[in-house]
Amino acid sequence: MMSEQSEKKVGIISCSGEGCVEGTISRIAARLVLERLRPDTTVTICLPLFLAGGREERTFARDYPTITVDGCKKLCAKIGTEHYSGKPASSIIVSDFTPNGKHTELGSRRTLNQETLIIAEQIAERIAEEVDKILECWE
Amino acid sequence: MKPNAPKKVIIIPCSGIGKAFGSVSRETTYEVIENLRKETADTVCLALLVSGDEESLHLVRNNKCITVDGCPLQCAEKNVRLAGGDLAGSFRVVDAYKDNRHLKPRAVTFLDHDGRQLAKALAERVAVKVDELLRTP
Amino acid sequence: MSNYIQTVVDKFELRVRRSFFYTEDDLWAKVEGAKVRVGVTDYLQRTSGDVAFVEIIKKGLSVKRRAEFGTLETAKTTISLLSPISGKIEETNEKLVEKPELVNSDPYEEGWLAVLEPDDLENDLKTLMSDEEYFGLMVRKLKDQYKSESG
Repeated sequence: MMSEQSEKKVGIISCSGEGCVEGTISRIAARLVLERLRPDTTVTICLPLFLAGGREERTFARDYPTITVDGCKKLCAKIGTEHYSGKPASSIIVSDFTPNGKHTELGSRRTLNQETLIIAEQIAERIAEEVDKILECWE
Repeated sequence: MKPNAPKKVIIIPCSGIGKAFGSVSRETTYEVIENLRKETADTVCLALLVSGDEESLHLVRNNKCITVDGCPLQCAEKNVRLAGGDLAGSFRVVDAYKDNRHLKPRAVTFLDHDGRQLAKALAERVAVKVDELLRTP
Repeated sequence: MSNYIQTVVDKFELRVRRSFFYTEDDLWAKVEGAKVRVGVTDYLQRTSGDVAFVEIIKKGLSVKRRAEFGTLETAKTTISLLSPISGKIEETNEKLVEKPELVNSDPYEEGWLAVLEPDDLENDLKTLMSDEEYFGLMVRKLKDQYKSESG
């Protein structure tokens, strides 16, 4: 196999937990990083595919640094990444960003409101900062 | 779901993060469980299932399940089967697209109009399946 | 030696099947005795999205080299399929009616599109690229795509 590109990229592995608004925030935050904040240096890894054995997802996560973004303390993304590909370079939990961690007061899990969108954007900024730190240390 | 609560059908989307159809699968599920069949359908997180979360596994093994997949890899269907879930129906977003070729969802992060319309069209089909499953013992 | 030349872009493996011939429009042609089997490349299926419909002209009809012999439709785009060679359609892949996703999952094998009886194989092959040449083109296209998306 010839690898034409060994460019510096960071994999973002986020949960998309449908059951709670934090899952949606996690998903949106990861997408904002990919689409707007760091489009050239990030790749998203599809978590269900990754956990189910997706070869491309696992190979990337094994060979490149990753940042996991979990909606809740069950930490599906972090634990799964550690188990199948190695310790992530950084891990973020959405509930650390929500006021008092009370998700029932945050609103719809289907569509983010103004407050939860701001939280998603804050998390996206944090992810982007982590991406930059990882890339600075890349040798 | 509380013990002794009436049975619900569990809808599990793939929520694939890389494709518009993944977002459509998620929106389809919400349309069913929050609008069309609020009393008779619910969802569970696919990642929790694959991770072996006991509560999630119990839910899918003790209720009929419908999966909604965004791409031919069919992660939701495969993983519900692997988890031993009672898989009673599976839908693919692409099949709804085939009957609605004028709808071309492009956006992934925030679904666009075509994406929402496609999700609604698919949700109607899923809702019919929910009713059918609850009629069947 | 592997049957493929490969490269990796982000998390995606992109493969070019050895010993096939290729066009600049990202179609492949495989010589099978007196016939030629054609399909789309891994690069084309990957960049087009999940295939929903494949439509190929009827068996028995003729097509000129670089003329349209069918279309491939995804939610993102509809692609005009331009024939690598001139010839008559002998066979079309009926499996793609029910399972168009085969074009995505197995573009060089089960996802083939049509088999043609060539009019002038020797001369048409001279217009096609080798596997190595197409691989180089694919890598250039990927780099150009990367640059344009970076702005």
